Amino acid sequence: MVESIVLSGVAIGCLYALIAIAYNVMFSASRVFSFTAGTLGMVGGVLGSIFVLRMGLPVWVGFLGALAGGALLGIVTEIVAVRPVLKSLDQHLYVLSTLALALIVQQFTAIEFGTDAQPFPRIFDIARGGFDQQYWLPMLACVVTIVGLELLYRHTLVGHAFRAIAEDNYAARALGLPERGLRLASFALAGAIGALAGFAGGQLLLAFFANAPMLTFYGFVPVALGGMGNNRGAIVAGLILGLFQQTANFLVGGIFASVAVFAAFIVVLLAFPDGLAGASAQRRV
Amino acid sequence: MSITRRQALKSASAAALATAIAKPAIAAKDPILVGYLPAVTGPSSSTGIGITRGTELAVQEINKAGGVDGRQIELITRDTQSDPTKAVNGAAELTRAAKVSVVFGPLNSGESLAVVPLLARTKTLQIHPCWVDSLTDVKKYPLCFRNAPTNQQIGGAANRYVVEVLKKKKVAVISDTTGYGTASANAYVPMLKQMGAEVVYQGNVDAANPDLKPEILRMQSAGAEAIMPWSVNAGFLSRIINTRGQLNWDVPIVGQTTLGSGQTKALLEKPEYWGKVYPNNFRPVSYGADGKLPPRAAAFIDRLRSNKIDMSDTLLWWIGVGYDSPYMLAEAIKAVGTDTEKLAGYFNKLKDFAGVYGDISFTPEQHDGYPDKQVVMVEANSLKDGAFNLAPGYGAA
Repeated sequence: MVESIVLSGVAIGCLYALIAIAYNVMFSASRVFSFTAGTLGMVGGVLGSIFVLRMGLPVWVGFLGALAGGALLGIVTEIVAVRPVLKSLDQHLYVLSTLALALIVQQFTAIEFGTDAQPFPRIFDIARGGFDQQYWLPMLACVVTIVGLELLYRHTLVGHAFRAIAEDNYAARALGLPERGLRLASFALAGAIGALAGFAGGQLLLAFFANAPMLTFYGFVPVALGGMGNNRGAIVAGLILGLFQQTANFLVGGIFASVAVFAAFIVVLLAFPDGLAGASAQRRV
Repeated sequence: MSITRRQALKSASAAALATAIAKPAIAAKDPILVGYLPAVTGPSSSTGIGITRGTELAVQEINKAGGVDGRQIELITRDTQSDPTKAVNGAAELTRAAKVSVVFGPLNSGESLAVVPLLARTKTLQIHPCWVDSLTDVKKYPLCFRNAPTNQQIGGAANRYVVEVLKKKKVAVISDTTGYGTASANAYVPMLKQMGAEVVYQGNVDAANPDLKPEILRMQSAGAEAIMPWSVNAGFLSRIINTRGQLNWDVPIVGQTTLGSGQTKALLEKPEYWGKVYPNNFRPVSYGADGKLPPRAAAFIDRLRSNKIDMSDTLLWWIGVGYDSPYMLAEAIKAVGTDTEKLAGYFNKLKDFAGVYGDISFTPEQHDGYPDKQVVMVEANSLKDGAFNLAPGYGAA
């Protein structure tokens, strides 16, 4: 039982963490919570299935295609659902615009791809075993993303620019940074990360249009618990969420497991309104 | 030449008389308008596409044989696009603009839930093959008849198979959190208990839950001898089957038709996991222990083949119910004409209409026409020409 809880819990937790990172990357660039994050994950899984199983493309081509599709959806999100409402952030119109776009993509997928869950390809042609690729692929994707983002943000000029607009976009613009272009690039990056989650978790979640709302909801929990915009907090909270959810599945089961997860979420937020790893933002004026 | 008022009146009277006399002769040659509301596009269209193949074949055959008393059947089809709103629009158009005599469909319960009350208000005779129990009601919808089983019959057949045929007394019932899943489990669990079975596990699980191992282990430790899943979600069902296989647990899985669908099969980790999986189906369109279809269905398959109708991507019972419905209507119209009340009166006394899909009977108190005994379980991994082998344990019909 413990092995099952750890394997599934960590794997699912990594997927939640990746979706939370997608939320954060978009949030850092725009101060907008884009509720298309879960949809990006769903699209990664569906595109992977289409490219590899339906079209018969090699796995690596399907993988790159899925990431490109996610990045494209990220860009569309920025142009269609975020940019028009940026001037009225205080009215929180982005909630409506991003949710609407997420619903459109989800319904379009249901109509064109089907309402049934469909198979996702085995990525590596190796026999099924206890520590199967369906578990370690999400973990690997999570590690690669963390390391990649650390390298990008800390060791590249573009990464510094991302951090600059996340810190203070007015000041960044005043310094001549192309804020709009960087925001667009951030959304493309978030799209690729979301699609990576869907592709890496495809064997676990299958290619299914209804994964979108599930990932959107469960991916938001680590964001809230880990602190908004805080990737390290999101990863820790994502892993805790996955393990807690899987433990609840074993101990109480059924829909009570979901109830337990959200009850714990509410209790934690009541105790730590800024999230487990968060702190009230301070800004020198 | 001038025409006097008397001559004009005479001519008008003669013309009116001639029109009145000629009317029945013209009406007799008018086509019989039958409204048809399938979903042939959209997410729920696989059923509609299969049923339509049978419906169109039957109408062609009837018309080729001279129609009903010389009148051709004209099928006026409106694709509901798997959308209840469009189904309602189609039904309104069929009854108000096209003035059809009767409506066959919709073919999915979601659309029928929206359309049945509308057709009841417009006093249109309706035949549909949808399973949701509330879709017939002799008081609320006296002109609505169902030539297919209800969900109660579907669950009842599965329960009978587990308790009476397989002799399993400890049962695990699992459903997803949809309305269908929850309602089915809530309806079938008391039925199981009444039959003397012990429900050792009852779970209601989110269909998107990627790991059902905890649930299956819980069933196993509770001593379940059979798993009864109630869901139409192929992903959910395949996870149950896969997890049972991974645990090398060989209890039978007995339940809804989706267990035997191609979508479920596509999601199985190993083909052998589909063994000992028994979905609902229907005895008149199932292969018996001798590997043969009943004579009516066998002859029907030959007819489908000779008409080059594809069976590889659909189910025989879908084509069968589509084929039977126009014939049932044609027999009724031949007997009593197209008057709605007379047709309803005819159907209220219908006894054992011998269709390919089943023997349909109605009474004034019972508009659910499919017989319990023809709802059976079949082997999921035995699909051939759209039909399955009867599950083990059934005797001859």
